[in-house]
Amino acid sequence: MLKLTIDNQPVAVPAGTKVIAAAEKLGIMIPRFCYHPALGSVGACRVCAVSVLKGPRTGIQMSCMLDVEDGMVVATGDPAAVAFRRQVIEWLMANHPHDCPVCDEGGHCLLQDLTVSGGHGRRRFPGKKRTHRDQQLGPLIQHEMNRCIQCYRCVRFYREFAGYPDLGVTGIAARVYFGRFREGTLESPFAGNLIDICPTGVFTDKPSRYKGRRWDFQRSPSICIHCSLGCHTTVSARYREIVRIEARFSPTVNGHFICDRGRYGFAYANAPERPRQGRIDGETQPVSTALDAALERLTTVSRTHGPDAVACIGSARSSLETLGALKRLCERRSWRGPFLWPDAQTARAVQTAAACLAPELRLSMKELEDADFILVVGADPVNEAPMLALALRQAQRQGATIAVCDPRPVALPFAFEHLALAPPFLADAIRIFARAAAGPPQAGVRASGGDAHPPDPNMPPAVQARLAAMGATARTCRRPVIVCGTQIVNSRTVARAADTARMLKSADKPAGLFFVLPGANAFAAALLSDENGAFNTLQAGIADGHVKAVLAVESDLPAAGEGLAPALKSLDLLVVCDYLNTAAARAADILVPTRSVFEEGGIFINQTGCAQRAAPVHVGGTPVAQTGGGDHPPRTFERSIPGAEALSAVQALDRLAGTETADPPAALADLHPVLAPFASRKWPDEGQLLDLSSEAAPSADWPPEEPPAAGKTFELVVRERTFGSEALSQRADCLRPLEKAPRILVHSDDAARLGIAAGDRVALTCAGGVIEGTADVRNTVAAGVVIVDRHRELNWPAAGAGWVRIEAKQIHKIEKERER
Amino acid sequence: MYPQVLFQNRQPDRTATIKTYRAGGGYRALADVLQQNAAARVRQVLLDAALLGRGGAAFPAGVKLSTVAEDAPYPRYVVCNADEMEPGTFKDRVLIFADPHQLIEGLILAGFAVHAETGIIFIRPEYEGAAAILEREVRVAEKAGYLGKDILGSGFDYRIVVHRSGGRYICGEVTAQINALQGKRPNPLQPPPYPTEKGLWQKPTVLQNVETLCCMPHIVAKGADWFKNLSLTPSGAGTKIFGISGRVQQPGCYELPMGVPLSEIIEDHAGGMIPGSEFKACLPGGASTGFLPARHYHIPMDFEALKKAGNRLGTGAIMVFDHKTCLVGVTLNLMEFFARESCGWCTPCREGLPFIRELLYEIESGRGKPEYVPMLQEMSRHLWHAYCAFAPGAAAPLASLLDEFEDEIQDHIKRKACPFSALT
Amino acid sequence: MLPKTRKKALQKEIAAAEHARELVVDVLMALQAHYGHVTDEAVFEAADLLGMTPMEIEEVATFYTFIYRRPVGKYVIHVCDSVICWMESERPLLEVLCEKLGIAPGETTADGLFTLLPVCCIGYCDRAPAMLINRKAYGPLTENKIDRILTGLRQEG
Repeated sequence: MLKLTIDNQPVAVPAGTKVIAAAEKLGIMIPRFCYHPALGSVGACRVCAVSVLKGPRTGIQMSCMLDVEDGMVVATGDPAAVAFRRQVIEWLMANHPHDCPVCDEGGHCLLQDLTVSGGHGRRRFPGKKRTHRDQQLGPLIQHEMNRCIQCYRCVRFYREFAGYPDLGVTGIAARVYFGRFREGTLESPFAGNLIDICPTGVFTDKPSRYKGRRWDFQRSPSICIHCSLGCHTTVSARYREIVRIEARFSPTVNGHFICDRGRYGFAYANAPERPRQGRIDGETQPVSTALDAALERLTTVSRTHGPDAVACIGSARSSLETLGALKRLCERRSWRGPFLWPDAQTARAVQTAAACLAPELRLSMKELEDADFILVVGADPVNEAPMLALALRQAQRQGATIAVCDPRPVALPFAFEHLALAPPFLADAIRIFARAAAGPPQAGVRASGGDAHPPDPNMPPAVQARLAAMGATARTCRRPVIVCGTQIVNSRTVARAADTARMLKSADKPAGLFFVLPGANAFAAALLSDENGAFNTLQAGIADGHVKAVLAVESDLPAAGEGLAPALKSLDLLVVCDYLNTAAARAADILVPTRSVFEEGGIFINQTGCAQRAAPVHVGGTPVAQTGGGDHPPRTFERSIPGAEALSAVQALDRLAGTETADPPAALADLHPVLAPFASRKWPDEGQLLDLSSEAAPSADWPPEEPPAAGKTFELVVRERTFGSEALSQRADCLRPLEKAPRILVHSDDAARLGIAAGDRVALTCAGGVIEGTADVRNTVAAGVVIVDRHRELNWPAAGAGWVRIEAKQIHKIEKERER
Repeated sequence: MYPQVLFQNRQPDRTATIKTYRAGGGYRALADVLQQNAAARVRQVLLDAALLGRGGAAFPAGVKLSTVAEDAPYPRYVVCNADEMEPGTFKDRVLIFADPHQLIEGLILAGFAVHAETGIIFIRPEYEGAAAILEREVRVAEKAGYLGKDILGSGFDYRIVVHRSGGRYICGEVTAQINALQGKRPNPLQPPPYPTEKGLWQKPTVLQNVETLCCMPHIVAKGADWFKNLSLTPSGAGTKIFGISGRVQQPGCYELPMGVPLSEIIEDHAGGMIPGSEFKACLPGGASTGFLPARHYHIPMDFEALKKAGNRLGTGAIMVFDHKTCLVGVTLNLMEFFARESCGWCTPCREGLPFIRELLYEIESGRGKPEYVPMLQEMSRHLWHAYCAFAPGAAAPLASLLDEFEDEIQDHIKRKACPFSALT
Repeated sequence: MLPKTRKKALQKEIAAAEHARELVVDVLMALQAHYGHVTDEAVFEAADLLGMTPMEIEEVATFYTFIYRRPVGKYVIHVCDSVICWMESERPLLEVLCEKLGIAPGETTADGLFTLLPVCCIGYCDRAPAMLINRKAYGPLTENKIDRILTGLRQEG
C-alpha cells in the first residue's frame, strides 16, 4: 500500500492506483469526462487536472493518468489546477450548444454540472459553433453530435469494452465524429449504455425523450427481472408511468452496465391493456369483489371435488414474496402446487443447479471476469442472459480462453471456440473435458465425471479431440470456470458441470461454477417447488377431470402463442392474478389485477443464489398520459388514483388463504432453511448471498442418455432471443424493431436430407400442437437438431419443453406456400 | 566553405548513385562493424558523439538505441521518420534526393545496433518522388548485398520497407507514427510503455529522423570526436542542415557547422535579406519554435544556445520575417495550421487551438478587443497541459508573439486594422 | 469492383505483409487510384481485403489528407497555405486559384478536371509559393505561371 495526501487527507491505496481513484476513496470526486472506472484512463479530456505539490513531477498533472507514489502530495483545489480546469470547460463549451432547455440530458449532465460548478458562465469565444449531422441510430438511442465533447467514452465502451464493431470515430481535429459507418440501428444489445456513459447529451434515451427532467422523476433502486442475472437498475417514473431505466452500479453483479432488454423492457408496466380492475365472467368489477368471488368459487370447487381439484400455478417472474404466499396458500388449503415450471425437465435442471451451487463453487459475474478459462455448456449468453456475454468479454480481453458447447448458433462479441453439439452430447462433452482436465489418474484423487460410460460413439472423434484439448488447457489455467445453462439441457448435464467445477477446484485454483437459469426468480422457484411442480405434469390431471379449477398467479405457463393450452379450456374455473394481459388473463373467469415490481418491489434470487431486493418506484395507477388523453393536468379531481386499485399478489393470495402476512419477508424464513436470513430486518445493499451449504450435493450417477438415432430422430431445441422471447420485455414496442425474424433452424446437412431450403415454410408436429415457421439453414447449428425461436409468431409452447426429441417424420415442408 | 558531410555528394538536380556514395567512402562503416560484429560499438560511438535527434525533439540518438534492452523480444524495428511535416522544414527531402544511400546505410546501422530485422521508412505523401527514389535505391542496396539475408556474410538479416503515409502532421509524432504503421488512427499514445520497449506490434521500436540517420555512417566511420569537432561551439556536435526560407535572397538548404551564427546563415549563405527588407524575427526551427527577435540576430545556432534564449533549434528550419511582415498574421497562419492538423484527441489541442485562432483572426481583422490579450496569454500557458507535445509546440510561437511583440498586437487592436496591410 | 488482376496483386501483397492492417493506407490508395476517390464500395472492398470492418476502414480513411472520401476531379490541386507560401504570395494562392477555376475550396470544376484543396506545408518552402497537382510539386508560383500550368493541364484534358 502506498500512502499519499490528497487535499490534506491521508489515504493508502495499492500501487498502480491512479490519483483520481485514490481521491474517490476519500470521497473527493475530481472532475472527469473521459475517465470512467470501467473504461480506464486515456487522458483525453484534461478536466481531471490537479496540482501535484510533492511527487516525481510537480505542477499540473492529469489525475487519471498519474500513478500514486508514496509520499505524494496532491491538491485538487489549487488555484492553478482550478484555473486550468475552468479553461478546459470554456474550450469544450466553445462548440457545445447552449440548448440545455431542450436537451434531455439537462439535469443529469456531467458537462452541465462541471460548467456550472466550475464557474464558466460567460461566452468569450468570438467564433461560430461547429455543427454536425446526426445519425438515425434506431429506436432506442437519440444521436445529437453537436453536443459532443469528444471524451471517446462511447467508442471505448462500444468497441473495446463491449466488442461490437459498428460505432466508431471518424474525421480529425475539431471535426472528430462519433457514429456509425452508415445510419442505422446500433447492433449491440448493450448500446443503451451509451446513454449512461456519455457525459453530455450526444446519446440520449429515445423512448423517454422529453418525458421529464431527472428531478421530476420518482426514482428508486431496483433489480432487473428480464433474466436470471439480477442486474441492478435505477427506475424512474413520472405521472404514473415508468419512464426510464438506467444501470445502477453493482460491484459484484453488473458493474456499471445493463443490457437493452433490461433497459427498455419495462413497457408492460405502462401498457394500456394492462389489467387495472377486477373482472368476473367478463364483467368489470372492483378488485375486492373479484377477489371475494374468486375465494368463494375456489372454495366451492375445493369443497365439492376435494382440495385436490384446485391447482395453483405461478412462475419464475414473481417475487419471492409472491412465490412464498402461493406456496403457503397451497399448504393451507391443501390445493395442488405450486406448479412453477413449464415442464419437468426444466424443473429438474434448475432444481439440480440450485442444489449444486455450493458456496465455494459459485462465482459472481465480477469474479467470472477474472477467469482465464471458461467452458460454456448449453447456454447462449447474448440471448439468455445478455450481461453474461459482457462479463465473458472482459475475461477474454484479459486473455481468457473461452469455449462454448451448444447446439445453437451461438454468437458472442469476441473470439471463442464453438462446438455445435446436440443436447444429448453435452453431458458427455463435459465428461471428456473433465477427464482431460483432471490429467492422468492419481491415487487418492477422486475421478471426475462420476460414471464409467464410454464417450458416445455418435460424437465425432474430432469433437472429442477438441474437448480433450480444452480440458488440457483448463488444467494449466489458474481459474477455470464452467458456465452452464438450464433451458435446453437436462439435470444430468447440470450435475456434471457442477462435479467438474468441483474437480477443477483446489486450494490454489479458485475454479468456479456459474449457472444461467430461466427467469428472474428461477432460483427461488427451485427452492419452493419439487420436481412435480411442472405444468405439464398438471396437464394430465386437468385432462382426466381431476383438476377442476386453476389459480394462475403471474404465470405465463399456459400461454400457447395467442391461444390457451387446450387443457385449460376444459376447466370449470380459471382464476388469474396478474399485472399482464396474458392469454390466460383474457380467458379467466375471474381476473384479479396485481401490482408489478415497480409498484410493489420484491425480492428476487439471482442465479448465484443472491437474494436482492427491488424497491417500489411509485404507487402506480393508470398513467396520466392515458387517463388524460394527452391533456394535463387532469380536469376532474378525485381523491383516489385512477387504476391503482390493484393489490399486491401477496395481499391477494393471503386473502385467498384467509391469513394476513404482517411481515412478508420474515414469513419467508419459514418456507425454506436457506431463507432464514429473511427473518432478520437487516438488508445488505448488495443483496443477501444465501447459505446453500445445507443442500446436499447431488449424485452424478445418472442413467445414460438414450442415444439419438442419426437421421431418424431430431432434438428440438427452443431458442430464446435477446429480444422477443422473454415474457415481459417482448411487450415493449420500442424493442420490436430489434427482434430478429423468428426462424426454424437446421444444419445444412440435415436440411439437404430433409429437403428443406432456407426460406421454406416448415411445420413441426409436436405433442402440444404444430409449430409452423420459416426455415433457416446454418452450419453453426448442431447436426441432428431443429431449433425453434421462442417468439410470439411461432407456436413454440407446442414443443412442451426447452429440449424434446422428435422423429424425422414430424418435420414437414409445407409445399408451395408462396405459390399458393 | 565549411566541410560538407551529409551534402558531400549533393549535386544540383541529381541524385547520387550507389557508386558515387561508395566512392566517397559510403558503406565502409557498415562493412566494418558487420565484420567485427560490433553492434555495441555503434551504440557507444553514437552516444559519445552526442548526436542529438534532428527531427525537432533533440533526444540523444545513442541513448535511444541503448534503451532497447539486450534481452528485449524480437522482432525489433527501426523506423526512419521521413514524415517531414513541420512547416518550413524541407531538409529531409533534400537529403533523400541528394544521397539516398547515406540514409539507407544509416538505417541499416541503426538496425544493426539494436538487432532489428526491419527498417521502415515512413514518408509523407507529398514526397512521392523521394519515396520512389528510396524504393529504387533500396533494391540497389539489396543487389549490392547491403540488405537481405546474411548481409556481407555477417549473419545479420535486415530489410527496408518504404511506408507511404496518408498525410497528417501528427504522424510525425513517434507514438502516432507507430499507430499509423499499424493501420490504426494515428493518435499519439502517452508512454509508458515507451516505443523502445513496446512499439510497433508491441515490439521494441526505435524511431529516428532522416537527418539523424544520415549522420550515423559518418560518425561510425570517423569517430565521435571528429563529429563533435565539426561544431563551432563546444555545446554542439556535428553539422546541421539548415533550411532557410522567407524574406532572404537565396532560400534553401545549407549544411553548416552546429553553432554557426544566425546572422552568418542569413548573410553569407542565404544571400542576405531581400532588398528593402530588415530582419525582424525568425522562427529558428520550424512552426513549433518561438519567434527569435532581432536582438538574437547573432545567436550561435545550436541546441544549447537556443535553449538558453528560451527557444528551440527544432528542425533547424529557419523562417525569416522582415519588418513588413505582420507577425500576428504569421501566428494566425500557424494556429490555422495547428488547429487543422490536431488529431482531435485532447481538449487543449482540439478545442483550444481553434479558440486561439479565432481570437487572433479577430485581432488581425481589426475586431480585436483588449481583453483578448490576457486570454491569449492564459491559453498559451494552458496549451502545455495537452496530451502530447503537439499543442505545447503550437504554444511556442504564440507565447513568443505575446512576450516579444505584444505591441504589434496592441497596435492591431488600437487601430482596428492590421498595421501592415498598408505596407504591402 | 477492383479489376481482378489488381485485386490479386493486392491480395498477394497483403498475404506477404507481417500484418495485413499495416497496408490499410496502401490499399485505400490503390482503390482511390481505381475509383478516383475512396467510394463506399471501396471501403467495403478494403475491409474485405484486410479483414477489418468498414467502420475501422472509415476511421482511418477520414483521418488523412490524401485519402478522398468524396469525388474529386482528374487533377487534385493541393495548395499550400502554410506560413512561407502565405508570406511569399502577393495574394493568397488559394484565392487566386478559386478565381481562376471558378470554384470554392473543396469543390470540383464542372468539367470534372480540377479539385481544389488547401493543404499544410508541403515542404517546398525553398520554392514558395508552391502547390501540388496530383502530388507533383510546382513552385515558385506566380499568377502567370498558374495560368500556364492550368492551360497545359486543360489541353491534356
